[in-house]
Amino acid sequence: MSDRMYPGLGPDERTTFAPYSAFDIPEDLRELHGRYDVVATAKRVRNFRYAEEWMMMMMGGWVATIPEIPVKTGLGKLIWETAQAADEFGKRLPELRCGRKAVDSGEPPNNAFADFIQSVAEPETPDLTIEKLTGLFDVLIPHLIEMYELHMQETDQISDAPTIEILEHIVRKKRRHLEWSQEVLDRLCENDELRERRRVRADTLSKELRESGGVTGTLEAGRGVLN
Amino acid sequence: MKRFIEHHELARDERFIRQDNRQATILASLPDDVDVIVNALEPFSDMLEQVIRGTAAEPLFDEYGPGFLITIINEPLDPEAPAALTRLLLRMHGIFVGELQALEGAARSLWDFPEAPWEFKMNMARQCWDEGRHVQIFEKLITHLGGEVGMFPEATFLFECACSDDPAMRVAGVNRGLEGLACDVFRDMIRYAHKTGDEIMEQAIDYVLADEITHVRFGSEWVREFTKGDPEYLERTQAFRREVDKQFSLGGARSDREDAAIPIAMKDRIEAGFTQEELDELKELSGSGPSKDTLVQAAAVLRERHHAKKAAASQEVAS
Repeated sequence: MSDRMYPGLGPDERTTFAPYSAFDIPEDLRELHGRYDVVATAKRVRNFRYAEEWMMMMMGGWVATIPEIPVKTGLGKLIWETAQAADEFGKRLPELRCGRKAVDSGEPPNNAFADFIQSVAEPETPDLTIEKLTGLFDVLIPHLIEMYELHMQETDQISDAPTIEILEHIVRKKRRHLEWSQEVLDRLCENDELRERRRVRADTLSKELRESGGVTGTLEAGRGVLN
Repeated sequence: MKRFIEHHELARDERFIRQDNRQATILASLPDDVDVIVNALEPFSDMLEQVIRGTAAEPLFDEYGPGFLITIINEPLDPEAPAALTRLLLRMHGIFVGELQALEGAARSLWDFPEAPWEFKMNMARQCWDEGRHVQIFEKLITHLGGEVGMFPEATFLFECACSDDPAMRVAGVNRGLEGLACDVFRDMIRYAHKTGDEIMEQAIDYVLADEITHVRFGSEWVREFTKGDPEYLERTQAFRREVDKQFSLGGARSDREDAAIPIAMKDRIEAGFTQEELDELKELSGSGPSKDTLVQAAAVLRERHHAKKAAASQEVAS
């Protein structure tokens, strides 16, 4: 007779008697432990939402001033998927005791990150497609993917599973965005001078991002790496 | 990045040729008078010729002169008509650049109005994806018909007329004015594709029309929401939409007239949230331009003068 508890729909359904073969399933080995409590996760989700909303808005601003048609149309799709990401984060907030009105309340971790976002959004004229895309796709989005994956690893796997589900879906989409953007940027940066522009832009913004502490403002505390 | 841009700031690659918007918008303000129309359009002859030289519209300009716009725009698409394919491509290219401008208008709404409600941003973001797909669809349809992007000049008057700096007026202009025009044009194109047995065109545009109805509905809902409790603001917004509708009626080419090149798609517009009162208003204002007879007479005068001018120029060269 096994002492193992086997699952049931309620406590009185849990059994210790020998299971029949259909219930002889591997035990769930996950432990109830996570780095973030409800308040900390809610704060991070607000930070994530802030970054996604601003990315969506700046891409919207750029569409008209980017001359390359495939980039315009490609951004159209990315805008929608980024808006959906922000929306998913927003919908998670009331579930984390932030109140029903919290669905559209993203917030930066600090002023330095808000300034960094404005630096990413700064390029304006049609000759700056490389600078526009580099800020987002070489710096900000890779950083977000790392931070989202870090959250997925560090948070409570069972208690915070809804956040993990959201992040998994968003990371999958973000990786596709990166594939698209790398192809576009490689095509745009067709000589050394243009590649240098991309490198300088990425270096400048990476420094600013690092100094801000990243999307959650915690990079300097050793939480998270930078690209 | 600044908020609000002008239509001349819309970025294009080297394939595109920009046309002066005055030529496109002047049609909306012309009276029912042959002489006035001739005198209004004739001064554009040199400017128009300069833009059109080297594009696929050059043979049409050579044939019709500065009146080619009213001739082409006001004639319903007819597969049996002279230069039918060029006319079809001209319209298809016009739709393609219209979709580009609609994409840009919806996308700028995200940046220009950062304080707008989240649901508004979600609607605009969705529209960006849709318009991006429409640009791709019409680029493919142009190729399907044997044309190419940049074969005709682009007028950016749709963006210029529709993109107000006020959020309610922006959605009234882009989502109800521009997208409403799109519903009319696409219903007409679906009819044409059905008539000519072009199933690829018919199905693709049918999907696009479904999207546009959704976009008009966004506009109908957000005009209501933005102007809620402020009848004076609502009236100003409706006046702006009327002005845009007048511009987009192209001197009666898009109207409820029996011989309109682009009939108003009443059923689609009702589904999209236009009220019967708004549609009656649209019928009235779109049909108030010059009559078809007047336009035909004006086009004939312009064509005659154009050929006379050309003959005089060649005589001068010969002597």
